[in-house]
Amino acid sequence: MPAHTPDPAHARPGSAYANPYVAGVGLGLVLLAAFVIMGRGLGASGAFSSTMAWLVNLVAPAHAQANEYFQGYLGDGTTHPLKAWLVFEVIGVMTGAMLSGLLAGRVHLSIEKGPRVSTAIRLLCAFAGGMLMAFGAHLARGCTSGQALTGGALLNVGSWAFMIMVFVGGYSVAWLMRWQWR
Amino acid sequence: MRWSALPLNRKLAAVALVLGAGALFSQPHRGPVVKLDTRELAMIVEQQVDHVTPAELAAWIVEGRADYRLLDLRSESEFASYHIPTAENVPVSALPDFPLQPGEKVILYSEGGIHAAQAWMLVRAQGHAAVYTVLGGLDGWKDEVLFPVMPADATAQQRARFEQVAAIATFFGGQPRTAEVAATAAPGSPALPAVTTPAAPELPSMAPPVAGRAAPAAAPKKKKKEGC
Amino acid sequence: MMTPLYKYGFFGDELSLVVAFVLGIGFGFCLERAGFGSARKLAAQFYLYDMSVFKVMFTAIVTAMLGVTYLGWIGWLDLSQVYLVPTFLGPQILGGLVLGVGFVVGGYCPGTSAAAVATGRVDGMLYASGIFAGTFVYAEVYPWIKAFVNSNEMGQVTLPEVLGLPWGVIVFAVVVVAVVGFWGAGKVERWIGSRS
Repeated sequence: MPAHTPDPAHARPGSAYANPYVAGVGLGLVLLAAFVIMGRGLGASGAFSSTMAWLVNLVAPAHAQANEYFQGYLGDGTTHPLKAWLVFEVIGVMTGAMLSGLLAGRVHLSIEKGPRVSTAIRLLCAFAGGMLMAFGAHLARGCTSGQALTGGALLNVGSWAFMIMVFVGGYSVAWLMRWQWR
Repeated sequence: MRWSALPLNRKLAAVALVLGAGALFSQPHRGPVVKLDTRELAMIVEQQVDHVTPAELAAWIVEGRADYRLLDLRSESEFASYHIPTAENVPVSALPDFPLQPGEKVILYSEGGIHAAQAWMLVRAQGHAAVYTVLGGLDGWKDEVLFPVMPADATAQQRARFEQVAAIATFFGGQPRTAEVAATAAPGSPALPAVTTPAAPELPSMAPPVAGRAAPAAAPKKKKKEGC
Repeated sequence: MMTPLYKYGFFGDELSLVVAFVLGIGFGFCLERAGFGSARKLAAQFYLYDMSVFKVMFTAIVTAMLGVTYLGWIGWLDLSQVYLVPTFLGPQILGGLVLGVGFVVGGYCPGTSAAAVATGRVDGMLYASGIFAGTFVYAEVYPWIKAFVNSNEMGQVTLPEVLGLPWGVIVFAVVVVAVVGFWGAGKVERWIGSRS
């Protein structure tokens, strides 16, 4: 497994990434379809919450059900926590991404990292970033998919505030984290 | 600059700006969710400018006025057995989907007036300002218009007035009564007149309510969080 | 026929899960097409040499926003039946900040991490594991932070309502800001590119 992958955009001739505006229109149409068909938008972080609630409930049911946060995702027991809309949606995301990747020859085991950082540190940062992201997303009731995209299109006040802060947060630590990416 | 010669990104930007400008004229779809100006509504309720008396309504029907719509909020069967002449049947559940022209004067009544008062709130919340209830509802209509009672110790002036009231009662197929008759009347009598159009100038026929579109299914029971 | 279809009873919960899967495929496909399965491409946004995140995100927002506006205008979409996440201003502002930091530290967001996992990125898998771990910790400390998490509740509010301006005006403003932003993003990319 290469520790420093060559630019995937040139992995195979003709497999360059799509024009971001075209990809954006495509994404916007998928989001619009969700509004029109389901009356809700897209999302991602909720799927992680449902899955975690189910896992903890499997291993330590008493603890899971006593925990107020997990209890919300376990519900009243009539529906399996994994039979959640977002869980199926995220499985779809993985399927669609794999499809697109296969078509472009961009599916292979790899690690994305900058040239100066070691693999181990990069993986540690990925894990830590994921933990931070989980906190941010649960505090905000959504992530970039659910809040920024969905709420952004619906002109939701909280979503726009959230979206602006994501960029603020990212840019404010970018200089500190540059050793990981440049 | 020819359209086809523009790069894709410029075309997308142009389309976005045109559609964005068009959106300036857009009107949001009026769904069942409404906003209430509570202070405004409380004022109207207190000033009591939101209802008409049965006697006023009777006068309008007799005059043949056609500038209002009278809505009976009860069920179909109740409507069929008796309704105030010129009324249309719109059960309360059908009211949110019932089409109303802006500026149209709407008068609501129900059996006693409670449903009419609640429906008044619904119609006002949809932004329709010219809506009123019949004070006392159908019960008030029966007492004041159909079966008015002349008090036993009425003065000459009151008797003269009662003549007029009695005439209106007969016009609608009702029965004016004196106090003694009313006091000894068996409960449940007198019976309501058959639904006949009074001999009044032909009123424009009211179009039956248009079949509403399918009502939204009740929101699925929240067994779990609906989030992102 | 009125939409949203699900809210008007055209199909039930079981079929909605199939819908979720299909929509997810479209979502994931577009993400990967844009290159968002790659942490380096995503992080590049915050180093100004590749503003794709901004371009894709705002193009998607503008597209969907114009879509709901026009569909609502011609009466084909009942916007009042589309779920709006309630606003909790304080937690959402802090949450955004934390998420932005997590974005640069980890290189992904939940949706893109799913795309990364699906295309074989090991760091994406670590990132997703981190989300699970972080979710567990969050749930454990939830009783202590509950008060803050539920603070500044404003209900389901939109920008037009809060700013007191018509929906269409805000839509137009967003489109203009986006198009100007795209033009500016291109300029920034070229400037940074010419420096390195």
